[in-house]
Amino acid sequence: MNRQNRIWRTALLAAPLAVFGLFVVWPLMSSFYYSFTNWNGFNPNYDFVGFANFGKIVTDRLFLNATINTAIWMVAAIVLPTALGLGLALLLDRKLPGARFFKSVFYLPICLSAVIVGQIWIWIYQPDWGLLNTVLRHVTGAEHNWAWLARPNTALWSVIVAWSWQQTGLSMVIYLAGLTGIPGDLLEVCEIEGASPWQRLRRVVLPLLTPSTVVVVALSVINSLKGFDILYIMTGGGPFNSSDTLAMHMYNESFAKFRMGYGSAISVVLFLIAMVVIGLYFRQLRKVDRIYG
Amino acid sequence: MAESTPMPARRFDPWPATIFVMLAVLAVLFLLPTAGVVLSSLKTTHDISMGDLWSLPATLYLGNFREALSNPSVHRYLLNTLLVTLPATTGSITLGVLAGYVFAKLPFRGSNALFLVLVAGMFFPPQAILVPLFRMFNAVGLIDTLWPVIVVHTALGIPICTLLMRNFFATVPNALREAAIMEGASEWQVLTRVVLPLSLPALAVLAVLQFTWIWNDFLWPLIFTKSDDKRTIMIGIVNLKGQYSVAWGVQGALSLVASLPTLAVFLFFQRYFIKGMTMGAVKG
Repeated sequence: MNRQNRIWRTALLAAPLAVFGLFVVWPLMSSFYYSFTNWNGFNPNYDFVGFANFGKIVTDRLFLNATINTAIWMVAAIVLPTALGLGLALLLDRKLPGARFFKSVFYLPICLSAVIVGQIWIWIYQPDWGLLNTVLRHVTGAEHNWAWLARPNTALWSVIVAWSWQQTGLSMVIYLAGLTGIPGDLLEVCEIEGASPWQRLRRVVLPLLTPSTVVVVALSVINSLKGFDILYIMTGGGPFNSSDTLAMHMYNESFAKFRMGYGSAISVVLFLIAMVVIGLYFRQLRKVDRIYG
Repeated sequence: MAESTPMPARRFDPWPATIFVMLAVLAVLFLLPTAGVVLSSLKTTHDISMGDLWSLPATLYLGNFREALSNPSVHRYLLNTLLVTLPATTGSITLGVLAGYVFAKLPFRGSNALFLVLVAGMFFPPQAILVPLFRMFNAVGLIDTLWPVIVVHTALGIPICTLLMRNFFATVPNALREAAIMEGASEWQVLTRVVLPLSLPALAVLAVLQFTWIWNDFLWPLIFTKSDDKRTIMIGIVNLKGQYSVAWGVQGALSLVASLPTLAVFLFFQRYFIKGMTMGAVKG
């Protein structure tokens, strides 16, 4: 019986582990390897350069710029969609006519691809007939043709808004799931005891939503580290690298400038940041599990 | 929470109405961007360039869709996307089922650690494996074919599929498996005849999620394909931007055509989609 179990385990796990090992784990290891080389992407020959790529990272002005942008992106991606999603979930968590319709509207953007989302928002930001400038013109009565995506000081934030529009539905859905886990009697007791709606929210609902918040925040951080497609579509990291992120910088160095060794070094740094975040997330999740069981 | 606290019929409560209005306003704001694309696709380029993109069209103009759908490149892009999405969706779910079954029903020493390693795979940024994968597929001459895209999507789908399948299989009573084994069934028969038929909801969740993610993906086809007749629809749309640079309406129609499969899947399987998002709640 035991022997048979062992055979079945091996037989069933062989294919998934082989595919995952060969196309995910092995490349991951190799990334570390290539980050110590100067491979250019075509030439079969390359040299070992030791820590030169990592030394270059420290002095690379564009890398620093991309790191700062990634940090801005990350904070904004945590705050905006999380707050909005939480707000929507709190509003929707009651018997309302059309609640289903509202939910669909808010999470519809999740199933659109980054390319389409980018396309949609390029039109909103279009200087001459874009929705944003059109509205501004009507409201202020003055001429507005600010090129939102082509100006260094608005490009990154314009993309962040588009990104938040897409991601809000995801945090809303997670918060809605969390809210169904809060017993109604508990809130009734609070009401009877004379807690104001604000106190109920601050002292009861929000603390009980902690597990959902952990998931939402971790997702936002991880997704913002991956943030690439929508930037590629909307700004390409420009103008003047003002919206460049680490993921974008890594792509440009590796596949536009063909410095694959240097690109690998950037990807290693990106991976290590992600690992730290994931580690924190798992630890927090365990703590949350212990408290809320 | 409020579902169990129905408003008692005391004095007039202004809250539900206020909330409804707030939600309605937000919903309109949320729909506006998408509505813009729909509106543009129904207008002539002339109307749009006259600054008339955001108003309701006086007449339905379908020329943009005719133009988009008669473009042979678009046919090619759509076909390529299907050729990638279908096998990669099936492949990743199959592998996830196999691994999930072992982790749920045949645990062994260290299986939890192995499971965590697999699941961690869905968190890290894909940029971390770009260069080695490019080199690997380049070495075997598969760059500029659809194969690397299929294979990588299959591999990257394993974490989420294993996670959801393991969690679902764990809810299937062990007694069921033991009874079948007593009757002389093999492990394979237990999986395919007993457990899988019970797992249709989980399979549906995964099918919807994987289909949507792979169909919408941009990064992998961008890296692995070069020539126009190997591109998928999301890359194709970007490529066609040059051709239709001021034909905004055609661009809008193209965007809608490209989103139609995922929108259809979303509308039909809405419940599954949300469930998957909250259950998986992890893949980005």
